[in-house]
Amino acid sequence: MTIEDRIELYRTRRFFFRDCGVGLGRIALGSLLAQTAPSAPRNPMAARQPHFPAKAKSVIYLFMAGGPSQLDMFDYKPALKKYDGQKPPESLMKGKKFAFMERMANQKMMASPWQFSQHGQSGSWVSELLPAIGGVADDIAIVTTMKTENFNHAPAKVFAHTGSIVPGRPSIGAWIAYGLGSESESLPGFVSLQSGPRGPRNGPLIWGSGFLPSAYQGVPFLPGSEPIFNLKSQPGVTPERQERALAALRALNEKRYEETGDDEIATRIAAYETAFRMQTSGPELMHLEGESKATLEMYGAEPGKNSFANNCLLARRLVERGVRCVQVYHTDWDHHSNIVNNLKRVTREVDKPSAALVRDLKQRGLLDQTLVVWGGEFGRTPISDGEPGTPNIGRNHHIDAYATWLAGGGIKGGRTVGLTDDIGFNPVEDRVHVHDLHATILHQLGMDHTKLTFRFQGRDFRLTDVAGNVVRKLIA
Amino acid sequence: MTRRQRYNLAVMKLAWMLALTLAARLPAQDVFGSTIWPVIERDCLGCHNTKLKMSNLSLASGAEALAGGKRGSTIVPGDAAKSRLIEALRQTGSLRMPPGRVLPEVEIAAFERWIREGAKWPESQVAKSAPKPNHWSFLAPKRPAEPAVKNAAWPRNAIDRFILARLEKEGIAPSAQASRHTLARRLYLDLTGLPPTPGQLREFLADQRHDAYPRLVEKLLASPHFGERWGRLWLDQARYADSDGGSRDEPRQLWKYRDWVIDALNRDQPFDRFVVEQLAGDMLPDATPAQLTATGFHRNSPIQIEAGTDREQYRVEAVVDRVDLTGTVFLGLSAGCARCHDHKYDPISNREYYQLLAIFNSTDDWSEARPRYDARLHNLHDVQGPLLRFGTPEQLKQWDETYQRMLSLQKGKENEKEFARLKASLPQFPTTMIMRELPEPRETYIMQGGDYLRKGDRVEPAVPAFLHAATGKMDRLAFAKWLVDPANPLLARVTVNRIWQQYFGRGIVETENDFGTQGTPPTHPELLDWLATEFVRSGWSQKAIHRLIAGSAVYRQASEVRRDLDERDPRNLLLARQTRLRLDAELVRDASLVASGLLTETIGGPSVFPPQPDGAMSASQIRKEWTESKGPDRYRRGMYTFFWRVTPHPALIVFDSPNSMVGCTRRNRSNTPLQALTLLNDAAFFEMAEALARRLEREEPADAAKRLERAFEICLSRPPKPYEVDKLRELLAAEPDTGWNSAARVLLNLDEFITRE
Repeated sequence: MTIEDRIELYRTRRFFFRDCGVGLGRIALGSLLAQTAPSAPRNPMAARQPHFPAKAKSVIYLFMAGGPSQLDMFDYKPALKKYDGQKPPESLMKGKKFAFMERMANQKMMASPWQFSQHGQSGSWVSELLPAIGGVADDIAIVTTMKTENFNHAPAKVFAHTGSIVPGRPSIGAWIAYGLGSESESLPGFVSLQSGPRGPRNGPLIWGSGFLPSAYQGVPFLPGSEPIFNLKSQPGVTPERQERALAALRALNEKRYEETGDDEIATRIAAYETAFRMQTSGPELMHLEGESKATLEMYGAEPGKNSFANNCLLARRLVERGVRCVQVYHTDWDHHSNIVNNLKRVTREVDKPSAALVRDLKQRGLLDQTLVVWGGEFGRTPISDGEPGTPNIGRNHHIDAYATWLAGGGIKGGRTVGLTDDIGFNPVEDRVHVHDLHATILHQLGMDHTKLTFRFQGRDFRLTDVAGNVVRKLIA
Repeated sequence: MTRRQRYNLAVMKLAWMLALTLAARLPAQDVFGSTIWPVIERDCLGCHNTKLKMSNLSLASGAEALAGGKRGSTIVPGDAAKSRLIEALRQTGSLRMPPGRVLPEVEIAAFERWIREGAKWPESQVAKSAPKPNHWSFLAPKRPAEPAVKNAAWPRNAIDRFILARLEKEGIAPSAQASRHTLARRLYLDLTGLPPTPGQLREFLADQRHDAYPRLVEKLLASPHFGERWGRLWLDQARYADSDGGSRDEPRQLWKYRDWVIDALNRDQPFDRFVVEQLAGDMLPDATPAQLTATGFHRNSPIQIEAGTDREQYRVEAVVDRVDLTGTVFLGLSAGCARCHDHKYDPISNREYYQLLAIFNSTDDWSEARPRYDARLHNLHDVQGPLLRFGTPEQLKQWDETYQRMLSLQKGKENEKEFARLKASLPQFPTTMIMRELPEPRETYIMQGGDYLRKGDRVEPAVPAFLHAATGKMDRLAFAKWLVDPANPLLARVTVNRIWQQYFGRGIVETENDFGTQGTPPTHPELLDWLATEFVRSGWSQKAIHRLIAGSAVYRQASEVRRDLDERDPRNLLLARQTRLRLDAELVRDASLVASGLLTETIGGPSVFPPQPDGAMSASQIRKEWTESKGPDRYRRGMYTFFWRVTPHPALIVFDSPNSMVGCTRRNRSNTPLQALTLLNDAAFFEMAEALARRLEREEPADAAKRLERAFEICLSRPPKPYEVDKLRELLAAEPDTGWNSAARVLLNLDEFITRE
């Protein structure tokens, strides 16, 4: 085999990561020299087979950071009208901890100021704030009984991404990239996109790779033609110069590879080739001008702008190119006060592009293999927050029942999973914990959440910790 | 039935028949006395004794054994198939005992037979004491004799005899010694983190004395850069960073602690003192400022606090972080597994975990006097807890007075200006976060399921029973002293193993953070014990261990892959060669700085802000400034780059620098396209490449051949080979207008350049 062949082999071969602690427990039982699997050079992002046949190949997680109010969008509670303005029953509050506890004493029950109606063949309830999402009601499954573990933004956000409230564990996207690698050879396998006034709390920690190798961390794409750090050559380095330098580099590295036999050099040669391809494919990806007018209008995307709409369209372009996981952040959902204006404003920003993403994927035949998830780190209370009796009123954080929806990737559309009590405070049926959502996402990707493990500090860690059940009712 | 199932069934049948045959051979009488009890004593009682009672099960007496444990009954007399004990020994389900091993078939068969025959347990047979668990790392290392070897000329010290004896047993010859060029670059990189300059290289090459090599080792051990290189690796374990972590990620000052580590390693502070001062320096009589600074070790915990949070939850998380990290760093144990339940594999009970936690639970983390969180005061000592302040008495007085006035201002728009004015007028002086014990210890309770709101029994500070005993009142200082007691079977082993793994890419125990029953066994157990005992014998001198390893013949071998060992030892576990290792993140930068001639060698001081790509700070919740350092500070070593936990410098993270949210005992070494983009296009690396080009043009202005030689000497510490000369000449000829810029970039991107060979 020539060096050329070997390098090509390392670039494309499907193999598992061998040298980073995976399966050490098993090795411990064997005799020392029985551990003689030849040390394959590793392209950590090479695509890998899942545990079982997958429904979805990619995931797009539209993350609404701040705590979207499920009671004003998805969980229709007509009974709240009856209690509107009354003091919440004491039994409800007993033993509960809330954020901003000290403000909770004077608060009243609060009905949704918006109208709800049923949509599609399935008749799912969606409020007037989300007409476009209502329009794809038959393609989405709404969960109204999501449960998380902490009522503050930072820890709950970390929990929603990593299954732990303490930052530092790998995020779901990193786990997925670790498990499956990527189908793209010229873009990162896990990408994060953001819009809105600021980065989400904890920033890169929520798309970090934790103790997994850093190859699996989410790569934040920046707006503009240079989405990845250092994608552009320095001024004066023309593509010809870059190519010439890379050719010399490759020749010298190949010689060194011959001399040392160290397969890491082959991996590095392949990495430089991918990097060079990225320099072309990155700007090409960001170039939305090539999209049809109809498509741009459907999303409400405008080339050159940094918006949620553009990011939804970019997410489609990314999964189209084989990227495994895309996180799209929208960061302005913390409506303690003036919910009437604020929720109207943010839903206007996300409703149309979110629905367009589902429609667009569907019309391109990609929805079957792409799992779309929409939701935040928690929801909001049926009890008011802010200053009662003034327009400056909103809702507090709520972690016992909130809404998330899923579409595509083998999810059964047109249904609502979970039932909450009269006022949407507690689940009555089908509680879905964050661990369960994670288990379900991994399941649709063909992975058993109990088997996707990484040994760190003497323990096999997993995304779902020691919990998690696949939510069968969501699956077609 | 599938083929696999049929196969399994056949195997089971066979095992069963074998078991029956074996059992039949045992004498009918006293299977308990001859087999059952000795096995229980040897393999079970370490964890399942009356005192420790892991999984609430004790096998210390018949009555206790029959009572069962947390999972219900253990032994069903007369019915081996229904007895959980047999399930565990046969390891057919999730419960597998003893951890990490399977008993010999004859013993399992004896247990089955004993149960079938009624599980008779003589009343007199009761465990008198709780024996230590039977696991190699929990027993104190004994200094082994150095083994005899055939090739007596090869070993240079004891290490080599252990390695060679094993190689000879396998019939494998070690590799030849690496070239002196390679050895020089290897030693410089391993001991100081900086490649040799041409002058340093030539000095070594010219030294014809027989002990030129050990002389170089001594010289580098004495270099002040030794403390930087090895200090950074200690800082990985200490999860050192320049910001709080958490959503606000406010900046903090702990660089005095970083500098203390560098200094402690440079003066080879005995490791036992090094440990005690970091864990409990504040509790030493008449603690010096240096000893207080050392306690920054555990003040490196991230601070998660923000508006609306329950402070107690995050105080508890910080204590948990310290307990778990203490287990990992000093004992090589995953103590954290026992937070929610008894450890499944190692003899640490849930109760013992909280006894450990009680030791660390009485520190003053943020002012107890201020119950409400106030974001305005976040950077000040209010939230950051006790600080050691390096100001003049006047500065301290002024600071305190100003701070009191700030506290007296009500929150609100009308006071914002005044508040900001006062804050700006606070005198500036360095501070460092330190530990302080509360006057009265906090009460500690078991947290059920690890949840701080669900209080269980109250517990007192204590160390795990399976390790050596502690005497007297247990607190943080007593604990630190207990850790460094030479009777501790783990500390010395774990520490020398971590030093070893930096030189060879893998520890003698590969699972460097798990010496428990689930970890990998040592490849060279006797060598590990020899090094551990040598470490203690040398007075806990880390430099003594470095001297031994760096001086060994094993270390000096060539690193070329041995195709003849592809089948027999592809992972190089037996060390018949050295290993090529990609440089750590900071060292990738350092090597480029040395080659470019730009490096500022200053050691210590506040962290600095070298260039980074635009947008690197954009992802955080609170936008931070990154004002590029000018002048010499722009070219400091990578370890001095200001480390924001939430938005770390991209060039560090891309080369696997730890994220500092949790301690890191071994770095990953990934190999990715983003690394390639960084070295090719990042402004800082580009600047260094251009500086290298200018340097070469300056130092060898006329002669092209000499300039090429110089370039290789600077970057790779060796002369170029003919094909390398040809390739670079080709490149230079293709770009007559850009001088040496392209050639310099190629050199700084070479795999060999960022690799220790």
